Amino acid sequence: MDAIYIITTGSLVAIACGLLGCFLILRKMAMVGDAISHAVLPGIVLAFLISGSRDSFTMLLGAGAIGVLTTFLIEFFHKKGGLQSDASIGVTFTWLFALGVILISVYAGEVDLDQDCVLYGEIAYVPLDLWIGSNGIIYGPRSLYISGVVLVVIILFITLGYKELHLTTFDPAFASAIGISTSLWHYLLMSAVSLTTVSSFESVGAILVVALLIAPPATAYLLTANFKKMLWITVALSILTSATGYYLAVYLDGSIAGAMSTMAGLFFALAFIFSPVDGLIAKRRRQLYETSKN
Amino acid sequence: MNKHLYHITLILSLFCILSCTPKQKEKKGKVQIVTTTGMIYDAVIHIGGDQVEAQALMGPGVDPHLYKATQGDLQKLQQADIVFYNGLHLEGKMGEVFEKLARIKNVAAISADLSDSLLRESETYPGTYDPHIWFDVALWADAIQSIRDQLIRYDSAHIDYYTQNANNYLQQLDSLDTAVKSEIATIPPSQRLLITAHDAFGYFGDAYDIEVKGLQGLSTLSEPGLKDISQLVKLIIDRKIKAVFIETSVSKKAINAVVQGCKESGHDVKIGGSLYSDAMGSFGEFEGTYIGMVHTNVQTIVNALK
Repeated sequence: MDAIYIITTGSLVAIACGLLGCFLILRKMAMVGDAISHAVLPGIVLAFLISGSRDSFTMLLGAGAIGVLTTFLIEFFHKKGGLQSDASIGVTFTWLFALGVILISVYAGEVDLDQDCVLYGEIAYVPLDLWIGSNGIIYGPRSLYISGVVLVVIILFITLGYKELHLTTFDPAFASAIGISTSLWHYLLMSAVSLTTVSSFESVGAILVVALLIAPPATAYLLTANFKKMLWITVALSILTSATGYYLAVYLDGSIAGAMSTMAGLFFALAFIFSPVDGLIAKRRRQLYETSKN
Repeated sequence: MNKHLYHITLILSLFCILSCTPKQKEKKGKVQIVTTTGMIYDAVIHIGGDQVEAQALMGPGVDPHLYKATQGDLQKLQQADIVFYNGLHLEGKMGEVFEKLARIKNVAAISADLSDSLLRESETYPGTYDPHIWFDVALWADAIQSIRDQLIRYDSAHIDYYTQNANNYLQQLDSLDTAVKSEIATIPPSQRLLITAHDAFGYFGDAYDIEVKGLQGLSTLSEPGLKDISQLVKLIIDRKIKAVFIETSVSKKAINAVVQGCKESGHDVKIGGSLYSDAMGSFGEFEGTYIGMVHTNVQTIVNALK
C-alpha cells in the first residue's frame, strides 16, 4: 500500500505542478517556484509570532499568504518598474528570505523555526501521516487528499480559463486588444502557482516541488511544438517520474524526493539528446542533411 | 484526447499492479523497536536487552532537526512494534507525524511524561521547550523510564526482566550524574563558561552549574549577528576563558569567527575540542553509547577549561 500511496501522491503533485509549469516556462518565470520556497520564511515566522504555535495548519496559512504576496511583488516590479522578470524574481525572494532570517534572529532565536523543520514535509511520510476521523476511522493519507483537491482546482482553473491563459501567454498584445486583462490572468495564474507550491511543500517537500514545476514541462517543451500536446506529455511524464523515482529510491534505499527529481532530470537529458524535434541527434542529422545537399 | 487518457490509465494501472506485490510480515519473537536518535536507541537496548531488536533512524553526526527519512526508514517504522522518539519538536516535522500516528500505533515520545517544571521553557514563547533533555543525566534517567513502562505494557510476560534491566541502567546513570557533578566542580568557578556553536547545552548548564553560551540560537538557521560575536569575544577576554567548543553535528564556521576575533584582540583562545551534541559517536565505539558520550564531553570540557 505504501508504494501506491507515495506514487499516487507524487503523481498528483507532479501533475498539478507540471501543468502550471508549462505556462511558467513559456512566460519565462520558471524560477518562481524556487523563489516561493525561500520567500515563505517570513510568513512562517510571522504566523508563529502571532499565534505562538508551530502546527502545520498555522504555518501553511502564513506561508500561503506570503507566497501570494511574493508573486504579486514579482509582477509589480516587473510591470511598474520595467524590470526583467528574472531580476524581479531575484530581488523579491532574496529580500523576503532575508527579512525572515532577520525576524528569526531578532524575535525567535530561542525557538527552532525554519522551513525545513516546520513547513517542508517529506514524501516518505505520506503513508504515515493519516487522516483519522474522530471516531477512529482511518481515511488514508492526509497528503493524498490535499494534493487531490489541489489538482482538481488546478485542472478546473486551466480548463475554464484555457483560452485566456493561452492567449495571455503567447500573444499578450492580441489578448489585451480583444479585451482580456493580461494582469488579471497573470495574477490568477500566480495565485494558483502559490497555492500549489505551498501546499505541496507541506506534503512532499521543497526540492521535489521545484524540480517538478520545471523539469517535466521543460522535457515536454523539447518534445513538441504544440501547446496542448505539451500539457499532455507533461502529465504522462509526471506520472512516469513519480513511479520510476519511487522504485529508484527503493532500489538505492535513498531519499524518495531525491530519486524522483533525479528521474525528472534524466528524462530531460534523454529528451535533450533524442528528441525528434529539438534533440541533439535530430539537429546533427538535419545539419548533415543540409551540408550534403549543398 | 481520449487516446491519451487511455495511455495514462494504462501506465497508472501497470504501476499499481507492479507495486501491489504482497509483503509477508514475518513475526519474530523479539519486540521490534525503532527509535529516532542514538541516545534513545542506547537506552532501549539497555532496558530491552535480548528481548528486543532495536534500530535507530538517525546515525552518528546527524542533525535531528533536519533529518529526512529514506524509503527504508518508512519500512522500518511500519514494521516496528513500538516507536520511540524524543519529542518537544526535536524531530521537527517528523515529530508531528509521530504525534498523529500515536492514535493507531505504539508510538511514544519519551519526553511526554516529564513534568513541565523540569523542562526549560522559552521565556518569550510559553509552550515551546528546549528539546535537548539528554544533557541533564538525571532528567534523562527520568525520561527513559517511559521506555521501560512501554515495554512492559507491550510485553508483560517479561516484566521482571525489563524492570531489572532498567534498575541496573538507572543506577549506572545515577553514578554517571554524580561523576559529572564532581568532574565539573574541579573547574574553577570563574572559568566555568561553556561556549558552543548552538544553544544545545542549556540543560547541561542548569544541572551541573556551568554557565552556557550558544553562539547560535536553537534554530540552526539563525545565523549569529556581528554583535553576538563581538559580545562573546569581549566576554571571553574579560573572563580569560581558555577554550571554546565545536559540535559534531553543527557547522564550526561561526565558532572560528569567535576564535579569530579573540586572536585579533590579543587573547589566545583555543578550540577545546568537539562535543557530541545532537548525535552520538559511531555505534560500537565508547562515544557511541550514551554514557560514553557524556563522559567524553565532560572530559573534553574539563581538560580544556581547567
